[in-house]
Amino acid sequence: MDKQKNYIQLIYRLMVGLLSIGFLYVIWPYISSVLLMLVFAFLFTTVLLSSVDILERKIRNRGLSVLVVTVGLIAAISIFVGSFATNLADQAGGFSQRLETESFMDDFNNFIDKTKAKLPDFAKGGGEDVDAASKLNEVVGNVMSTLLTFAGALGSFIFNMIMVIIFTIILLLNYHQFKKSLVGFIPNKYFEVGLRLIYNIEQQVSNYLRGQLLAATSVAIMSIIGLYILNFFGANLTLVIFIGIIAGLANLIPLVGPFIGMLIAFAVALMNNLGNEAAQAHMLFNAIPSPFYILDVALMFIIVQQVDNNFITPLLVGESVGLHPIMVMIALLIGGTLIGPMGMLFAVPAAGIIKVIGHEISFVTKNAHLL
Amino acid sequence: MKSPLWSNIFKNWNSQESEKVTALKHVPVFDGLSDKELDEIEKLTHERTYQSGEHVFKNKAPSEGMFIIISGSVEIYLENAGDKNILAELNDRDFFGEIALLDTKPRSAGAIATTPSTLLGFFRPDLLSLMERNPALSSKILTNLGAVLAERLRKTNELLPKSDN
Repeated sequence: MDKQKNYIQLIYRLMVGLLSIGFLYVIWPYISSVLLMLVFAFLFTTVLLSSVDILERKIRNRGLSVLVVTVGLIAAISIFVGSFATNLADQAGGFSQRLETESFMDDFNNFIDKTKAKLPDFAKGGGEDVDAASKLNEVVGNVMSTLLTFAGALGSFIFNMIMVIIFTIILLLNYHQFKKSLVGFIPNKYFEVGLRLIYNIEQQVSNYLRGQLLAATSVAIMSIIGLYILNFFGANLTLVIFIGIIAGLANLIPLVGPFIGMLIAFAVALMNNLGNEAAQAHMLFNAIPSPFYILDVALMFIIVQQVDNNFITPLLVGESVGLHPIMVMIALLIGGTLIGPMGMLFAVPAAGIIKVIGHEISFVTKNAHLL
Repeated sequence: MKSPLWSNIFKNWNSQESEKVTALKHVPVFDGLSDKELDEIEKLTHERTYQSGEHVFKNKAPSEGMFIIISGSVEIYLENAGDKNILAELNDRDFFGEIALLDTKPRSAGAIATTPSTLLGFFRPDLLSLMERNPALSSKILTNLGAVLAERLRKTNELLPKSDN
């Protein structure tokens, strides 16, 4: 009789589980963006929580502490983005002015001709006489239309960011109450195990974030040093600190991130050195043609990435989640396939959390008679 | 019958901060803490309600922290081959399970509420996070905890010759 009751219970639970999954599948498109905002808000909260707690202990006012920390952070980000955008706009403005001058177009055409002349016959193409300068103009036109599309996306991004900031402020203000309310839902029987689970998840996330931020900082510093070294050899790169910081921050996105800093450095190298004969004829190690120092920049970023991937990240991040490198790769692939670069950003901590939950479920199953 | 699940979820609707701080002041583990520090500890504690006859924890269960009785009564017991040996009957302001703040070994005895009880739990994960955020406060608690355990050991030592006789 008892066995039959157990089967009925099992079937009932299975049906409820399947219905819940089905319901989640149906409503997922409507809630996914809000959930993503909440995940970001949670991550920002994890990073900022200890600063808010320390400040609150000193000034005895939670609201003011949250205000000071968030306003400070927003101000720092705004100053960084603002000055980067201004510098980049100046640089782009200067570049577009140079584009309009006839001599510059001639320079560019000369450069293309020279490069073509250096290429072996099979790589020269079908022999069509292409006007490179008009092609460049066409590209600039395309870039302008892309910029308009980008402006639209920027509006949506700003709205999402504002929502994330609001969620973060609410979470920071009430984090401890929210946590207590969540804990309040745990039945007495599973209370201590539940607390341990929540603590372990918090530890996983904060260790991962701490490790990632330290790794990002070290990548930024190494990139800045590398770019200054290239400048010492005449690379004529500007916005060095900005490029370094962006390379460090982009490094948070696995696999794709490291190329973002490199691409910006390529753009700056191209903009600064177009028309400069010496830079166009530059040879890496006096052997490999590296016009505009492109290969030098790529080599520098590859070295930084190798140092980061082989020494810094395993030391600071790898140990924090306690996952085998193969599991990390699988998690990254699954995250990337499911939600793209964002999925890659969250794949490793998510895999770490799943591992903790699995460990606790197995513990509870084995020790059910003690609870 | 009042469900412990619902009473645990909605307990914060009627704030009892001062009562919790008063209970904390009676526990030797929090001796010598300022009101400000007690407020910080109070934020880390979890108020739980138990029905009469409900286990707070079973013997050999995984342990995560200590409990302070705000109201009600709790029996500490050991069960040997079906025989229940009651070790202590605890009431308002008493505390138990403090060893779990220091190690991760399973509980050495069971605890069961003998009347509807409200307990305040202070757990190792919260103590560990406090150690990171406020080492000065957590070291005071750990020193007090050491003193409580030393006192227990001293009393046990005093009882040993008597039991030998």
